[in-house]
This record gives sequence, C-alpha cells and structure tokens, in this order.
Amino acid sequence: MKNDMLGLIFAENPEVSMGELVGRRALAAVPFGGRYRIIDFILSNMVNSSVINVGITTPHNYQSLTDHLGTGKAWDMDRKNNGLFILAPADSSEIPEKLAGGVDTIHGIKNYLRRSQQNYVLVADCNTLCNMNFDEVFTAHLESEADVTMIYHKIPHIPERELKRHILLDADETGRIRDIHVYPAQQKTDLSYMHMFIIRKDLLIDLVDDAVAHGKHFLSKDIFLPQLNHLHFQGYEHTGVHLKIDDIKSFFNSNLSILNKETRDELFGLKNDMPIYTKVKDTVPTKYGKHAEVSNSIVADGCVIEGTVKNCILFRGVYVGKGASLENCIVMQNSQIMDNCLMENVIFDKEVVLRSGKKLIGQETYPMIIGKGTVV
Amino acid sequence: MVIFMKAKECVAMILAGGQGSRLGILTKNVAKPAVPFGGKYRIIDFPLSNCTHSGIDAVGVLTQYQPLELNTYIAGGQSWDLDRGSGGVYVLPPYTSAEKGEWYKGTANAIYQNLGFISQFHPKYVVILSGDHIYKMDYNKMVKQHKKAKADATIAVIEVPWEEASRFGIMNTDEELNIVEFEEKPANPKSNLASMGVYCFSWEVLEKYLTEDENNPDSDNDFGKNIIPAMLNDGLKLVAHRFDGYWKDVGTVQSLWEANMELLDDNPGCQLNDKSWRIYSKTPVKPPHYIAPEAKLRNCYITEGCEIYGEIDHSVIFEGVTIGEGAKIEDSIIMSGATIGEGAIVYKSIIGTGVTVGKGAVVGSMDDSARDEFVNTKICSADITLLGADVTIGDGVKIAVNSMVTENMD
Repeated sequence: MKNDMLGLIFAENPEVSMGELVGRRALAAVPFGGRYRIIDFILSNMVNSSVINVGITTPHNYQSLTDHLGTGKAWDMDRKNNGLFILAPADSSEIPEKLAGGVDTIHGIKNYLRRSQQNYVLVADCNTLCNMNFDEVFTAHLESEADVTMIYHKIPHIPERELKRHILLDADETGRIRDIHVYPAQQKTDLSYMHMFIIRKDLLIDLVDDAVAHGKHFLSKDIFLPQLNHLHFQGYEHTGVHLKIDDIKSFFNSNLSILNKETRDELFGLKNDMPIYTKVKDTVPTKYGKHAEVSNSIVADGCVIEGTVKNCILFRGVYVGKGASLENCIVMQNSQIMDNCLMENVIFDKEVVLRSGKKLIGQETYPMIIGKGTVV
Repeated sequence: MVIFMKAKECVAMILAGGQGSRLGILTKNVAKPAVPFGGKYRIIDFPLSNCTHSGIDAVGVLTQYQPLELNTYIAGGQSWDLDRGSGGVYVLPPYTSAEKGEWYKGTANAIYQNLGFISQFHPKYVVILSGDHIYKMDYNKMVKQHKKAKADATIAVIEVPWEEASRFGIMNTDEELNIVEFEEKPANPKSNLASMGVYCFSWEVLEKYLTEDENNPDSDNDFGKNIIPAMLNDGLKLVAHRFDGYWKDVGTVQSLWEANMELLDDNPGCQLNDKSWRIYSKTPVKPPHYIAPEAKLRNCYITEGCEIYGEIDHSVIFEGVTIGEGAKIEDSIIMSGATIGEGAIVYKSIIGTGVTVGKGAVVGSMDDSARDEFVNTKICSADITLLGADVTIGDGVKIAVNSMVTENMD
C-alpha cells in the first residue's frame, strides 16, 4: 500500500567534511559498503516503507548522482505517477553556498512539493545510514497528532569534540520535545537528532516561506527552535544500527563496522526483508586465485583476488595481485593493486592503480586517502 | 490488424521448452534454460545476452515444460536491456485458438505456432536459437554472411573432435561452406562440423517450409530431422557459418559440472569477465559477500550475499550461500541460498538451491558406510553427487558418491 507521505532527501550537507571523496561527487553519491552509494540506504528505507514519491535535492556536482539513480529503476521507482524526482538546483545565487541551509533548499523546490499528491513530507539528510521503517514513524506521527515528528537516536556519551556536530533534544515523559540544543558545548541529554522529520506539507511550506521572508536559513535553529512553544514537536526513537557519515574518519569506521555480523544483518535488512537497493552493474562473481588469503572482509562481485586481504571492504571489480597485502583498507570500484604491494589503513577512491611493490601506510585514526583515478 | 510494432530486420526465437531430463532432479521443477550456471547466471542468459549484443531486440522465448520459473525470471526483460517500447522479449507458451489448441509437437511446430508473432515485425530474417548452450556468439555475423551468400538458410557449425562427431548432427559442406548433406549422429562421419542448433532463415522460406511441414502428418516437426533435410532435398542454398569460440552443451549433470569447473581454469574458454560482451542476468538484491577470519579460499568463484566461515577449494558458489565454520567444499557447485553446516564436507557435488546440509554431514562420500539409497549412476556419472533443490540433509548424514538426492535425509 502506498502512503500519504512523500520523501525529500538532501543530497548535500554543508556541515560535513569529506575531503577528496566529495571533490567531484555529491555527498549522496559517496560509495559505501562494497557496492552502494550512501543515498541507497535512506532511499531504500523509504521505498521499503511504501513511500512512492521521493524528491532528491542536488545543489551541485550532481552528475555522479544522476548516473547512479537514473530513472529510479533499481529502486522500483520508475513509475507513471509519482516515482523519483531529481530536483536540480534552484537559483540560489544570492545566498553564499556555505550559508544555504535546508530552508533555502526547500524553498527552491516548493513547486515540486505543491504539485505532489501527498499531504505529508518526510525530510531527511542522506548521510545517516540505518534500516528504518518510516511507515511506523508515520503512523506514530498521525497518532500523536503532533505538528512535527523528529527522529532521534540515543547516544549516552558523545565525545566532547564531537558535540559540535550534534543537535540534542530534550523530551518530556510523553515524548514531546521541550528543548533543542544546537551544537551544544556540553551534553545535557542523550537524544541525538538524526536529521529526519515528518511534517504536514502545507505547514512546511508556510514555515519555510516565513523563514525566508526573515532571512533565515536553518531548519533546526531558525524554524524548530523558535516554534517550540507554538507547535507540537514529538520525538521518535530509532533503536539499532545508526551510522552517521560526516568526515573521513566516520566514513572509514562506518565501512569497517559492517564487518560485524549483527550490524551487517540489520543495516542490510537481511532478517526483516528490508533490502538495500542499488544500481545493478552486471559484474561476474569474484574469483579467488590459488594463493589468495582473505579474512574478515567484505568483497563485492567482479573482483580478482590473488593476494592477502584482511579487515577490508573491496568494491566491485577490484584487483589484488600476487604477494600484495591489504589490511584495514577500503578499496573502491575498479581499483587495481598490483603484485607485492603493501597497504594498511588506506582508502582508495575509484579506479586507483597502485603499481607493483609500492607501500602505503596510513594510521588507524587518520586513514590515508588516494583520489579517484590516481596512479601511484 | 492493428500495428503496434515497428518492422525489424531480424527476429530471434529461442527454443526453451526442453525438459533436459538428463539433468535429473535439477530440472524437476524448472525448464533446462532456467538451470543456474556460473555463480549468478542461468543458461538462458547466454542466448538472451547474445541477442542484446548482436543488436537483435525482438526476441521470442518458446516455453512449454515447467515454465513458471523461466517466466518469472525473464519477466519484462529489463535485465537484458530487452524491455523495449518496440520489440523486446516475449515469453511464448503454447496456446489455444478457435480451431484448435495443442502443445508444441517439435521444434519446428513450436515456431510454426508462433508465425503470427514473427510476422508482426515483418522481418527479413529469423534467427532460431536453442536455449541449452553456454556460448558467446555474435549472431549479427551469421546474418551478414547469410545476406552476402544470398542463402535461404544458414546454420552455425563448430568443429568438434573427430572421435565425438558421431554424437552430433553433422554438416557436410563443399569448399565454399555450402551444405551438401546433413547427417544426424552418423556412425562414420565425413565431416567434424557439428550443427550448434543456431539457424538463420530468410523469413519467406521459413514460413513456407514450416507450413508445408505442418501439413505433413508423417513429420516429427523437427528442424534437424525434417526442415533442413526438406530444404536440402529441394536444392535450396544452405550455408554453414563457422563459429570457433567456446560452446558447451550442458545437458548432462557431468557436462554442467565440467562447464562450471572450466570457469576456474587459468585461461577459461568462456570469459565471463569480457566487458565488451557481458552476460546479463537478473541480479538479486544482496550485500557483498563476507569472508570470515577462519575461512580459507583457493581457486573459487564467490557471489554476493554469501557468508563464508569454512574452506572452499576449486568451487563455484552462487549468491546467498552460507558455508559454516570448519566445513570443506571441494570441486563443487553450491547454488543460491544453500546452507552448509559446520564441519560438513562436500566433495565433487552439485548442491541445488535452498539446500540445507547438516553439521558434520558428508556429501559425495567414498566410504563404505555411506548411505546409498539415492545412488543413480544413470544421471550422476563421474563420481558427481547431486542434491535436489530445497532438500535437507540431517547432521552427520553420509551420502554416497553418485547419489541424486531427491528427498530429505535424516
């Protein structure tokens, strides 16, 4: 059954620092987990939750994203009515890019919202990876009769240096949100907002229009916070796997975390039939050679492995030559590691070539990144 | 008649109705073209992908025996880029009409019953393909030769070893590759050019001969037995098209096993990794596979969605397979979704989709104490053991080599 809620995904997020990984691609198109792009998770969650109309806003660098999404076929979203909409940049030339927040983005795609049949909107960032049934969130939203339902995750102890990247919520015993702490200095509550909320479409448009008229840019700070006492904000707790990717280190650790079976089973919806869809590539099965030694690794199709691979994520079509040794590495599509190379704590973007006998060692806390198409 | 279709120069018809009885339990519930191959393919992916790469985008797939799985698999044809607005792939089962309705009596009759399908495209040429072989072939080359030679029919042939020639339909040709004689399984072959079951006909010629054949009550309605000999008899121009790539009939348990194992050779005859001629298939929605710290892999194919905790040597593993800790897989093919329990041993076997092998069980045992109630040397030769789809083998059960297991064993 379809539901009365459309999905709106932000393909960019001005508050992340992904370095070279986003030089030529949108945040949403950053590869993840051997065969995915990070947008596959939120998009598949929506599709699995009977959301049949999804808009994706793409401020810039959207070619890799449109290549990936195509007509939405891989997500079963190539439909006559509704389906997948890539919302190309509106004219935001008056607002410096760094300042442009969610308010401006939504304002720019107001026509899409107006024209859609659905009366509710689920607004979400693309860079939080989880496996969530939004149908249940929507039901809770309707039952609570709230104006806005904000989805959060409980994190008891956030390291102090990371607090400036969290929005924390104070909820009363009924789950109603009473206060919002945007990038606090101290942790006073353990409810961390996941940058996903549900709202009535006409209310969202009104709030955004009003914010724009007052020169405001940010959803949490400029809309939610001032409206706390006028509107009903309800919290919804997501339990379970929650991987937020906002810098190189979290990207590295999130990838390696799927080596854990429970994390993998939940994130990929293997137990509850909530699969994560992605673009099909028609690659052959992976071939392990006579001298391959592989342990605790995730390997996608189309690889040829002749060497040693430990604690790694290998994307489609990766080649690992004889005598090569990889540990704690993330190697993206079609990269080639020639014979007798040594790599530790390294991220290879797509189509990197590491010539025979080369050695690359990064630190666990600061993995080394090699940009797309580099020949080392 | 309402015209929905643009004219096509060439239409392909894939004969996919065969039961493939020599594959035993593997084709109990599916037609032979739907039998899995090479870790993520089915046999029919090869002719379908060949059509796409050859630029033939009007394709009929003739089904009859156990068509459900094949229908579901082909669906709208999008996996092969054959979901076309004009043309595309169509599954064509036998049907009834006001006058009569009947099963496909033979390969020629199957095409005869679908002359209406072909004629909607107003083709010049019709390519007839068997859905039973593993090969990568550019049909366009054959059609070009057919045009150039102004032939009535062109038949693809492949050189086979002389000692095996008597197992095939043999084409005797002159120096210019004109076919002068066709012999089905000759005792003393004069040529080693075997018919591949791949034909190109000029449309009017095909229509005429199929109609005449249908009106002959003594005919077996078969291309090899009736249509080709009739054309030769009438002095039509039949030309052989030489194909020199990899071509493998996977009609027996042994040949299916061999064709899978050949993929693991250092220089396999069938290069699946050829980016200019990819074999398309319906890809399951599965995460990449996981190799555990205790796993050991040597010369094997592994597909998405697998969880490998045991040892694999010289084997092809399909998607979504779990190999438990301490389990050993050797010289085997494990099809989709199978689970091999901890400490189990699988030797030279074909394990069907969804099979569960219990902890410590042995499949393909040479031991005298192994259970032999399913031994079937008619289907399973060369020490190959075959487990039918969805069977469950209990913990510690030892299954004798050459068994074809059709039911659960506790």
